[in-house]
Amino acid sequence: MSNSSVGQSLPRPDALGKVTGQTRFSGDLSRPGMLHMKILFADRPHARVKHVETGNAQAAPGVMAVFTARDVPVNEYGLQIPDQPVLCGPGSDKPNTDIVRCMADQIAVVVARTESEAEHAVKMIEVDYEDLPVLTDPLQAMKTDAPILHPDRGDSNICVHYKIHKGDMDAGFKSADVIVEGEYHTPVQEHAYLQPEAGLAYLDEEGRITVEAGGQWTNADQSGISHALGMPDDRVRVIYPAIGGAFGGREDLSVQIVLALAVWKLQQPVKIIWSRRESIVGHGKRHPITIRAKWGATRDGRLVAAENELIGDAGAYMYTSNKVLGNAAITSSGPYFIPNFKTDVYGVYTNQLPSAAFRGFGAPQALFMAELQMNKLAEKLGMDPAEFRLNNALQDGLTMNVGTPAPGPVSIIQCIHAARERFQWNKYRRRRTKPHIRRGRGFAAGFKNVGFSFGYQENCWAKVEIHGDGDIERVIVHHAGAEVGQGTHTVMRQVAAQVIDYPAEKIQLHTSDSATQGNPGSASASRMTFMAGNAIKGAAEAALAKWKTEERPAIAEYKYLAPRTTPFDKETGHSTPNFSYAYVAQAVEVEVDIETGQVRVLRVVSADDVGKAINPDLVVAQIEGAIVQAHGYAVVEDYRTENGRVLTDQLSTYLIPTIRDIPEKVDSVLVEVPDPNGPWGARGLGELPFLPLAPAIAAAIHDATGVWIDEIPFTPERVLRALGRIR
Amino acid sequence: MKTTAQNLFDLSVTVNGTRYEQAVEPRTLLSDFLRHELGLTGTHVGCEHGVCGACTVLLNGESVRSCLMFAVQAHGREITTVEGLGTIEKLHPIQEAFHEAHGLQCGFCTPGILTTVVPFLEQNPHPSEEEIREAISGNVCRCTGYQHIVDAIKLASDRMNK
Ligand code: FES
Ligand code: FES
Repeated sequence: MSNSSVGQSLPRPDALGKVTGQTRFSGDLSRPGMLHMKILFADRPHARVKHVETGNAQAAPGVMAVFTARDVPVNEYGLQIPDQPVLCGPGSDKPNTDIVRCMADQIAVVVARTESEAEHAVKMIEVDYEDLPVLTDPLQAMKTDAPILHPDRGDSNICVHYKIHKGDMDAGFKSADVIVEGEYHTPVQEHAYLQPEAGLAYLDEEGRITVEAGGQWTNADQSGISHALGMPDDRVRVIYPAIGGAFGGREDLSVQIVLALAVWKLQQPVKIIWSRRESIVGHGKRHPITIRAKWGATRDGRLVAAENELIGDAGAYMYTSNKVLGNAAITSSGPYFIPNFKTDVYGVYTNQLPSAAFRGFGAPQALFMAELQMNKLAEKLGMDPAEFRLNNALQDGLTMNVGTPAPGPVSIIQCIHAARERFQWNKYRRRRTKPHIRRGRGFAAGFKNVGFSFGYQENCWAKVEIHGDGDIERVIVHHAGAEVGQGTHTVMRQVAAQVIDYPAEKIQLHTSDSATQGNPGSASASRMTFMAGNAIKGAAEAALAKWKTEERPAIAEYKYLAPRTTPFDKETGHSTPNFSYAYVAQAVEVEVDIETGQVRVLRVVSADDVGKAINPDLVVAQIEGAIVQAHGYAVVEDYRTENGRVLTDQLSTYLIPTIRDIPEKVDSVLVEVPDPNGPWGARGLGELPFLPLAPAIAAAIHDATGVWIDEIPFTPERVLRALGRIR
Repeated sequence: MKTTAQNLFDLSVTVNGTRYEQAVEPRTLLSDFLRHELGLTGTHVGCEHGVCGACTVLLNGESVRSCLMFAVQAHGREITTVEGLGTIEKLHPIQEAFHEAHGLQCGFCTPGILTTVVPFLEQNPHPSEEEIREAISGNVCRCTGYQHIVDAIKLASDRMNK
């Protein structure tokens, strides 16, 4: 084809606006007559709100309105279950919405003529609280005598419990020659997308409440807003301006409902911009999980049994904990065949900030355990860790822990080979530089489902228009999938260009508007290239067929339905939970300064099976970005709270990697084993390179120093403690 | 300082070649002045604290963090924001390189990085990779992992030296 586009590293069309400052993010929007909003957050993690006194604030200069719980028609929201009040306080119909359960809870909003007037007035609101006992530890919160945080949702704080069980554990462990037991701790991680939350809401020309704020799924935002306002979906419209990063942290609503509420009440445009502190305190985080594991293998290096217990802190509200922990359950075996397997995964409500979606979605935590168990077993067996993985790798036809085979082709073996070769694993020689500097190498692997499934029928909508007379003059693609920086708009054009044989850069894209487009599904779970790719391919093919029969213009809509999946069986977890997986293996070299405890990552080789790289440069960019974020998770970022209060609530205290704090070299190997259901074979990628990095670094630290560190992050303090140099 | 009756300051400043005379409150931040008063929203605010570099602009040709300055400190001086570097029709070579070499993902950090790199490449037209890394070490990017940013800067320096 003359305009062959798939497989080409075309430049991003959105880059032109972004390099010239023309692109509008939500905080950059304005409208005539626009008012400004400020939110009063709860100032304690667990309390009953007895009274909210707004009189002084109402009377303050410039104030147009103050809204509290009483003003929210249906005072609840939540992506999976509506367990969070929009505004906490007395006076709403829903039970227990007067209870504050974490510092992210919102109490009241002030709308004023200027931002500084709103800021001034919000300080004049007086809240009368009755403090309640604060639960910060999920292990305490799951005890039967713990105070219940959601009394109307059962008599336990355990909000998620998945069981996976296959085979005979006793017999399995009996046949093991070596057994490794461990306890692992993974930390909270803050998304720290560079653009804090912001939004503008107004009534559009048809009188619809329109909210322009970054998110990851237009339709989910729309129904969350309309539910709280007690309105039909079509009275609410959600539009995405440019989005300054998301990584899962924009899946749950932040400013959207209160903006919509204010516009509905005041019939005037309203804008809000969160400060960095409001962003860090106001949105969910990566789940911290405590994991106990016992794995056994035979002398010849075959896994025979594995038993795990994962206890995840869900924080104050469900957000996507049920989905995140489902993924943790599946990935808790690593990408290996284990004949006897048992995992129990719990999610527990506490008074911490809600745990939410974050790149990897439960898999980085589970794989930290699984991959360290593998490395420790390999050491005990005296086997090479890559070789030991190859011995046990999942393959086509072998059953996963859920008792069914993974949808093929399973490519973990190709990834392990690719990482090992590029790293030159078998030729590795430890270089000595200075006496206090120790070097070592580490290996880890991982896998991740593509899409939300577990019985949910994954779907994705697209529309393609072909205009012209004799020749094609114009191609328009309509798709609502969120461009959060990953490059999906580029991929969408390339897909349509390939099908229609038309230059990608000339394709017009109509993006992210719930009023004009069907459901795209979420820009998460590494699903957008796979799902939108299939949807746009289908629509483009249908439009092209019409074009060929002389229909002018040729317009076609298409809804892609992914293969069916099934939910976990309650007792055994037996299921076909996903329709596609992607696989990854990484080898790293680190340097540990045993005097300062500093860990430097010298080299990361990441071999990722992307199925088909639709835009290879963008694939490499995703890998590099994910690895640096995972390096932040493993080595740099150190989120701290005290009794439910966030201590690291600025970018000056919550440090994320600068170019000075990253691996010195990232070497990406693109493995391309096509998925038969993916567009041109593409699988998912966004999360994949994140997954094995922390355990690979831990293994390399062990190789360098002889100590295992089973808790992330590997800060100098923790490393020195492990080395016995400090207490 | 000239202040008016309501304690406003008569600011005179040149931004992207246009002279502005405007009364501002003395405590108005330069970043807010550019974004809200002049509508130059290409200058982004990521931390309000001088940590992330997203708000970087050029003050008399030098990179400064506009969230750490008051607008009145720019009185009588010249500011260039990302909008002043080039336009979509006529990109600055550094903008061109970021476009071509995938020097961005979400693009929120990009204006601050471009306004950091412009004076850097003027002063050091043939930088080593190490010098490039040093130059952008005060700019935070959460998306790219930095390598494509470094590559874009290299490309720009090669082009500008031709
Ligand atoms: S906003 Fe100025 S440095 Fe971050
Ligand atoms: S591209 Fe998103 S912060 Fe740099």
